[in-house]
Amino acid sequence: MLGSGWQRVLLFFLWVTPHALLAVVAVITWKRRLHRELPCFFAFVVYEIGEFLLLFGLRFVHSVSGEVYAYIFSATLLVSIALRLGVIDEVSKNLFREYDFLKVSARRLLQCVAALLLGIGTLLAVYAPGNNSAKWHAGVFVVNRGAAMVQCGLLLSLLLLSRFMGLSWRRPVFGITLGLGILSSVDLATSALRAEFTSPAMKEFLNLLITGSSFVCVLIWIGYLLVPERKPAFPALVPHDEVEIWNRELQHLLKH
Amino acid sequence: MIAVWALVALAFVALGILAYIAIRSRTRPVDLEKAVLAFRSLDIDAFRNLVDSAEEDFLRDNLPPRKFREIKRQRAWAALIYAREAGRAATALARIGQAAQRSSDPKIAASGIQVAENAFRLRVQTIRTGLYLLTEILLPDLQSQSLPHLVEQYNRAAETLFRLGRFPSRRDPVARSKSA
Repeated sequence: MLGSGWQRVLLFFLWVTPHALLAVVAVITWKRRLHRELPCFFAFVVYEIGEFLLLFGLRFVHSVSGEVYAYIFSATLLVSIALRLGVIDEVSKNLFREYDFLKVSARRLLQCVAALLLGIGTLLAVYAPGNNSAKWHAGVFVVNRGAAMVQCGLLLSLLLLSRFMGLSWRRPVFGITLGLGILSSVDLATSALRAEFTSPAMKEFLNLLITGSSFVCVLIWIGYLLVPERKPAFPALVPHDEVEIWNRELQHLLKH
Repeated sequence: MIAVWALVALAFVALGILAYIAIRSRTRPVDLEKAVLAFRSLDIDAFRNLVDSAEEDFLRDNLPPRKFREIKRQRAWAALIYAREAGRAATALARIGQAAQRSSDPKIAASGIQVAENAFRLRVQTIRTGLYLLTEILLPDLQSQSLPHLVEQYNRAAETLFRLGRFPSRRDPVARSKSA
């Protein structure tokens, strides 16, 4: 399907460019001192760059067989999955950190969602393992499919919960969540298809999709990391004593 | 095979939701006046009447069972709309609280956190109330418990808002039509 020259060039471009741009993300994160606030995200970005350099290098080493490459790819993928889950945890902690009420109740809700998604992912792995369950690397894609479902579900829950509760996001954190959400959604679709359809043409098409989504994701991260935070409009409108009156009355309202 | 296409469909739905949230998040500045109007627009007397258990007992004793179920569903539905509006008002208050929290004045920032935190609690409370009312709609024969705390305390909050000099004290026409 994607055997012709320009498609290979496109695939190569979409494989290399997002990782080059990830270096820009790492620099911006460092310069804005966000690596202190979001250490797992920073580690994830650095890891993805390192992983790319390793796999890119191995591609040109003739002594490395396809089987060895697939082993290394699978191992790096599993670490990447763990780091992504770490980033989601970090984002949720960052979002709720100032509110004691949400720290407890919203995080408990997210834990329930995670447990539910994990259960569904496990059931899917058992009952719909894909066409080539005998091959170990197809099994890795089934694991990736389950992980993508958990990630996607958690990120969507986080975004919908924040919207439902009126929670404001800080721009970089929102950008990270949005980018990761897009990446996880495409990952979910591609890994589901990859576990079922294993023809080389389909594989190339799916590679194109996943690298394309990585490109979009990294552009979103750069955009949101560079844009400054909105200035608050509130203090000019309402003096603090009015806020305290509101606060007092809401406390009355909620007292049982 | 069905599982594969179901997951692909889920992924597309997720992408759609993400795009929607991303677009909406760019056009949502905090509108203080709108939030206050939303908070004040709730006619608490009408809501109190709708969830009053004594009123319900009276209807139960004086209406045939079928008519009672019909009326009770209508009352619960109307109360549910009030709870939904209260939830929206809480969301707006949460946004205002968070905006205040980013103020350079430490007093305003500290108050902002508390406003937001309480607004989150109120939001959760309205969800619980909504679920309770939904149960009443589905199972109208179930004996109701009253919701006095929510009503009385919301009333106090609304009165305080009337006292704030910045906003006109007339009742919002939307509220009037809702309470009718």
